[in-house]
Amino acid sequence: MSVIEYDVIVIGAGVSGLTAGTFLAKQGLNVALVTTGESTACLSTGCIDVCSQDENPLQAIVNLPDGHPYHLIPVENIRQSLHDFQQTMTDRGMPYGGGPENNRRVLSAIGTFKTTCLTPVTMQASPQNEDEKIHIITFAGLKDFYPGYIISRLKNASYSIYDAGVATTMGIAANFEGEAFLEAFILWLEKQNIREDKIGFPAVLGLESAAAIVQTIESRMECPVFEIPTIPPSMPGRRLFNHLKDYFRCQGGAIYWGWPVVGVEKSGKKIEAVIAESQGRPNSLNAKAFILATGSFVGGGLHANRDSIVENVFHLPVFLPGKRETWFDHDYFSTNHGIGQAGVAVHSDFRPADCPWDNVFVCGSILARTETLKNGCGHGFALATGQAAAKSCLEHIR
Amino acid sequence: MKFEHCIRCTICVENCPVFRVNPAFPGPKQAGPDAQRFRSEREKSVDEWVLLCSQCKRCDMACPCGVDPAQIILRAQQKYGLEHPHTAAHLLFANNYYLSTLGSMTAPLANRFVSTEIGKKIFQRMGIATYIPFPKFSFKTLRAQKKTRSRESRKVALFYGCFINFYRPDIGRKIIQLLQSFRVDVVLPPQWCCGLPALGNGNLALAQKFAAKNVASLSNYIDAGYDVVYSCTSCGLCLLHDYQGIMDIPGAKKIAENSYNLHEYLLKLLAERGGTKPEFKEVNRTLAYHIPCHLRALKIGYPAADLMKMIPGLECRVLDDACCGLNGSYGFKKINEATAVQLGGRAVSLIRKTGAEAIVADCGSCRMQLGGLSGMNAYDPVEILCESLGIRDLKKQKK
Ligand SMILES: Cc1cc2nc3c(=O)[nH]c(=O)nc-3n(C[C@H](O)[C@H](O)[C@H](O)COP(=O)(O)OP(=O)(O)OC[C@H]3O[C@@H](n4cnc5c(N)ncnc54)[C@H](O)[C@@H]3O)c2cc1C
Ligand code: SF4
Ligand code: SF4
Ligand code: SF4
Repeated sequence: MSVIEYDVIVIGAGVSGLTAGTFLAKQGLNVALVTTGESTACLSTGCIDVCSQDENPLQAIVNLPDGHPYHLIPVENIRQSLHDFQQTMTDRGMPYGGGPENNRRVLSAIGTFKTTCLTPVTMQASPQNEDEKIHIITFAGLKDFYPGYIISRLKNASYSIYDAGVATTMGIAANFEGEAFLEAFILWLEKQNIREDKIGFPAVLGLESAAAIVQTIESRMECPVFEIPTIPPSMPGRRLFNHLKDYFRCQGGAIYWGWPVVGVEKSGKKIEAVIAESQGRPNSLNAKAFILATGSFVGGGLHANRDSIVENVFHLPVFLPGKRETWFDHDYFSTNHGIGQAGVAVHSDFRPADCPWDNVFVCGSILARTETLKNGCGHGFALATGQAAAKSCLEHIR
Repeated sequence: MKFEHCIRCTICVENCPVFRVNPAFPGPKQAGPDAQRFRSEREKSVDEWVLLCSQCKRCDMACPCGVDPAQIILRAQQKYGLEHPHTAAHLLFANNYYLSTLGSMTAPLANRFVSTEIGKKIFQRMGIATYIPFPKFSFKTLRAQKKTRSRESRKVALFYGCFINFYRPDIGRKIIQLLQSFRVDVVLPPQWCCGLPALGNGNLALAQKFAAKNVASLSNYIDAGYDVVYSCTSCGLCLLHDYQGIMDIPGAKKIAENSYNLHEYLLKLLAERGGTKPEFKEVNRTLAYHIPCHLRALKIGYPAADLMKMIPGLECRVLDDACCGLNGSYGFKKINEATAVQLGGRAVSLIRKTGAEAIVADCGSCRMQLGGLSGMNAYDPVEILCESLGIRDLKKQKK
């Protein structure tokens, strides 16, 4: 028996878990979220990929193969989950542009274009083709960002370098939070005689105040400004994560950090509690229902042995595409590795298939046949399934 | 050590408060798992920058792969400390306990306690540890006391920690009364500094000396049916985690298994007693609850927040994203001063944004830093709970 009994415990602080938790907390339920650590959202570009297989993401979803978990959710609900997300982010001062009918492009740090659906306001002005006239500013010594490389793939681009005094993504972003730094930077920028139509920056324009900083630079320079997502540490990914996490807490949710679930207490058809390694002794938390949102292999929800794949928390059966030979494509960089289909299969109410307990729900990239990479269905899929699983969970509790 | 589990995702780096403001510190990924590959028992440490890590453990809490960079860095700090002469500041803070003891002995504190019978009792209990570094507390007397208590009531051995002992005994007295109001017997076992300041200043041997004494003392009480309760979150983390971990003290597991954070313990009592809430009276305040880094690292959630939620009228905004920057003795050292001030400033600005009238934090050092920098009042959650339950410091009440 734990001290407090929660209505729902969500396992995993990814986009799906935070979405599910927030939805339930908003309904007035007492929700806790437990997590080993921070999630893949922090590593991401911050853009919301819904489904990148077509110009129209919703159409792309219709065309996904049978058995894809997206098909369990009515289109209206997918639309609603994206709309709710955009509303939340607008309220929090980091608006997301775009809509579910159109995919758009975002210039990447290697000069290619990434296809995505919703973009943070700091990337709203990202060029849509290689002909656009852009100027890129980079920072002296900044690792893993090579503007020369980027412009070699564009037709009308140039770049210049600013010395920020520090050379790390985090360090520069933190500096931008200071008014004096921003002002000195803009004064320098004004002297550069930039003639191109747009100015691009590696995504280091601040941490908490990025939207305002971009707006300030835009109005002073009188031209559109956009961020180019970097490899981790990725500030746009961090901002997304921080907003979703803070919003969850604003709705009354509690978060237990550093809380890897290592076991469960069960009785009959119910999971009663989850157990974590804590400092010195195990700790447990009780709830009426549980939402599993532990992600796929990177997130830590799935673990691959030589010939089998296990789900780490409830040991739910894991769907496999076939024998080990089928797990990997010969091309290492392929997006079509069979193992991308591995995961937990669910019924239409997001309860796991072949599961002895009726108070467990599953969402996010741990779902079987998701194929996040191949289908380009990252955060958007996490938003939609997070909300769908939360709705079923709510029905169960009421 | 689990440095091989690192997938180089840099999530720890993004969470490191020191890295954010001090370019001289390479961050938890490099100072932890990356540099660990090059550290050798047989070679002298050259990584002086490990000393810039404040041991806030935020990296450990954020890492999705269980690498625990702060633990790796802590070991590197000890190795560095062993191989290099200690600076005056390190020596001073490592021996903080002895200095504070000396300080309190000369302070005219004693007069403040003696006005009432209860005050006297508390004075005897508190006083022993406050004024005599090695108290001769008789174990038998405690046992005798046990018999007089009702069967229902629980018994607690309170580990109050240096901060409360030397600087805020009033909070210590309130903790005792708070526990008593939950029908719990409280004793103050013989105890010494938890050892964290020594550890944090690269003096593992001294830390182990303190720890071994505490383990021996607390262990006796546990055997006699007492639960250990601590209120300082950093002491707690040290008792639960470091005694078993880096200090490797025999018998530490027993201490960890039987020690509770004060508020965690109160919630546990409430749950055991069927969940009836105490009679909290209205407290009309808006507070910003700054979560101390080491409470976060205890992995027990925020039990004081759960208790304060039960207080009618109280608006309590939980903030756990910012480190106050002081980290015990860390911020008092010249080389860390700029870091501490910048981090403190950021924490204060987040607090101001909530519109709160005052700050709450379990950690005395957080309160010192945040209260000092903001000019706002900074309370221990115990003070808020006592306010709501009508518990006042006995000494002041009688004035
Ligand atoms: C490098 C990278 C970049 C990406 N970039 C993008 C992008 O730009 N746009 C996009 O839309 N999508 C992107 N994605 C995909 C996207 O991040 C995910 O598909 C999506 O967010 C799904 O998240 P999730 O909630 O299912 O789980 P995850 O984000 O994987 O989170 C899982 C959570 O569960 C926790 N956890 C795991 N096991 C346990 C346990 N036993 N106990 C407690 N907690 C546990 C983890 O600590 C983590 O917090 C990217 C993915 C990666 C890996
Ligand atoms: S230590 Fe953990 S958080 Fe840091 S880079 Fe390695 S895996 Fe990521
Ligand atoms: S313990 Fe704190 S200061 Fe040290 S590396 Fe980790 S996050 Fe940074
Ligand atoms: S003094 Fe407080 S916030 Fe500050 S480091 Fe300690 S635990 Fe972190």
